[in-house]
Amino acid sequence: MKSVISTQHLCRYFGKKETLVKALDDVSINIEPGEFTAIIGPSGSGKSTLLQLIGGLDTPTQGQVLLDESNIGSMTGSELSDFRRDHIGFIFQAYNLIPVLSAEENIEYIMLLQGVPMAERNQRVKEILQEVGLGGLEKRRPSQLSGGQQQRVAVARAMVSRPSLILADEPTANLDSHTGAALLDMMKELNENEKMTFVFSTHDPKIMERAKRIITLEDGKVVSDERR
Amino acid sequence: MNLIATLAQRNTFRNYRRTFLTVLLIACGLAALIFTDSFVKGMVKTMSNISTQTYLGHAQIHKIGYRASNDVDEYLTDFPRIVELLSLQESVVHFSARTMSGAMLSSSANISSVLLIGVNGESEANVGELDNAMVEGSYLTGNNSELLIGYDLADLLEVSLGDRIVVTVSAAHGGDLSQELFRVSGLFKFNDRTMDNNMAFINLDKSKKLLNIKGVHEVALTLRDLSSADDSSLPLWRALKSETREILNWRELVPQLNSVLEVSDFSTLIVSIIMFSLVALGLINSMFMSIFERHQEFGVLLALGTRPTQIFNQIMTEGMLIGLISAAMGFVLGLGLSVWISVVGIDYGHLEMSGLTINEPIYPVIDISAFVLLSVSIFTITTLSCIYPAIHAARLSPSNAMRKVA
Repeated sequence: MKSVISTQHLCRYFGKKETLVKALDDVSINIEPGEFTAIIGPSGSGKSTLLQLIGGLDTPTQGQVLLDESNIGSMTGSELSDFRRDHIGFIFQAYNLIPVLSAEENIEYIMLLQGVPMAERNQRVKEILQEVGLGGLEKRRPSQLSGGQQQRVAVARAMVSRPSLILADEPTANLDSHTGAALLDMMKELNENEKMTFVFSTHDPKIMERAKRIITLEDGKVVSDERR
Repeated sequence: MNLIATLAQRNTFRNYRRTFLTVLLIACGLAALIFTDSFVKGMVKTMSNISTQTYLGHAQIHKIGYRASNDVDEYLTDFPRIVELLSLQESVVHFSARTMSGAMLSSSANISSVLLIGVNGESEANVGELDNAMVEGSYLTGNNSELLIGYDLADLLEVSLGDRIVVTVSAAHGGDLSQELFRVSGLFKFNDRTMDNNMAFINLDKSKKLLNIKGVHEVALTLRDLSSADDSSLPLWRALKSETREILNWRELVPQLNSVLEVSDFSTLIVSIIMFSLVALGLINSMFMSIFERHQEFGVLLALGTRPTQIFNQIMTEGMLIGLISAAMGFVLGLGLSVWISVVGIDYGHLEMSGLTINEPIYPVIDISAFVLLSVSIFTITTLSCIYPAIHAARLSPSNAMRKVA
């Protein structure tokens, strides 16, 4: 099966000489379509850095990232933006919703960038709001939503454009255990029903329990890669 | 409204206080510029009017060489021909012939040197303000013994209406002293120290006899309007100029005043440049503050697939919105201030500037097209000022921006 993500000898260093920090050091992994993968490891092990490199948010010091067989390192800024818009959904630890947009506008944002017609946008936003259990809250701004509700909006935003890959950076870290578990169940369901590929960076045991594959990083290196 | 415009509009009004203060800064700057422009134009108009209407006229004709020497012998001998030529000029409304010479005025109490001017009362009233400046006695009626002196000079000579004054001049054609007894028939007050202390008027025919001349030294003209004096295409200038005769407009007659007026225009330009620079720097500062606060959001927008050009456009739209509101507010404030002052005026209380006494209030000139031009300039400056912050925002790296690293 073709990999949705392939990293080859990926390195990301910060600083120079005495202050050099190897956040990622020669990481080569392949993730196949429909996987529900957790990247775990202690703080500073390089989980978030790996996710950012996979998502094209950062540039590797060495090595390359292939997404759907496209080398994102060879793309221009605008090509990379378009690639992220059309192929990757992001879920962040701090939700990172746009505060001046309502819940439905936050969800609609990527479709607006994609030029999806208004009728289709409205329909998809309506459906996904129901799916994530936020029906009736669509007009609220992020500041008027709880943490759990905001993260649901973030999940809806990441999924609404039906990307082939969703990258989630510690999505449950700021949520209470009950809300976090409910959100994970929702994502697991989407993974199974919609066949979306999920890659998490996490410390959360609940995610680890549900993950089909766990990649462990330590000091920027892959120390284990376990499939279930 | 499209996505970029929606985000720009909401972000602009997100921090009401900062946006309001930024808009207020730009609007006040524009209002100050508009008022400065209208005030300087009003000052130029007032100074030009004072200069030309009081005595000078819009243009003057002299014998070539007279202005340099002020010699009584250098007079225009062909005055009838000049009258004939002037009557053919449509641009000339009125004219007044004058003789001019230095004179010694002696009263029983004191003496003073003055510029003695011979005029025809009727034609002089059409060109200058002498008739309106009379504060005591009567204007020139043609009586040979009439003498008009300034109110301040009367104080110096300790004379009043009806008192005798001996006028001594150096006559033409040999420089013999010529003396004549006059009676003070009127006192004038131009509220100009030079004129009120150093000028005296007698009838033209009498002055010609006194100076022993058969012509005049000066012919002052008023044209259809003041701006005609700057129209070099008028046939007047060619028609009246000859080998012995020169005709000069008021700007050429008082070059020092003309320089002041030109400097006034230049000073408006300097003030505009300073104001535009301050507005640009203020806005750049404000936009950068706003961008630094939103680094994380820009990182998220980029991560979601927003193109750098779209981020650039968003910041530019925010700047244009601020510029538009500021320009509109500044236009209204500046117009309101200028209209108000144009009604009440600013009285400089007889301030002397470049030999001219500003003895009437200055009323700003309302020039809507200039106000619109300044407003459009401010809008353009604010828009251009946003290019640098917009480039900064567009070039952010998503990962750095989300870590709030500048």
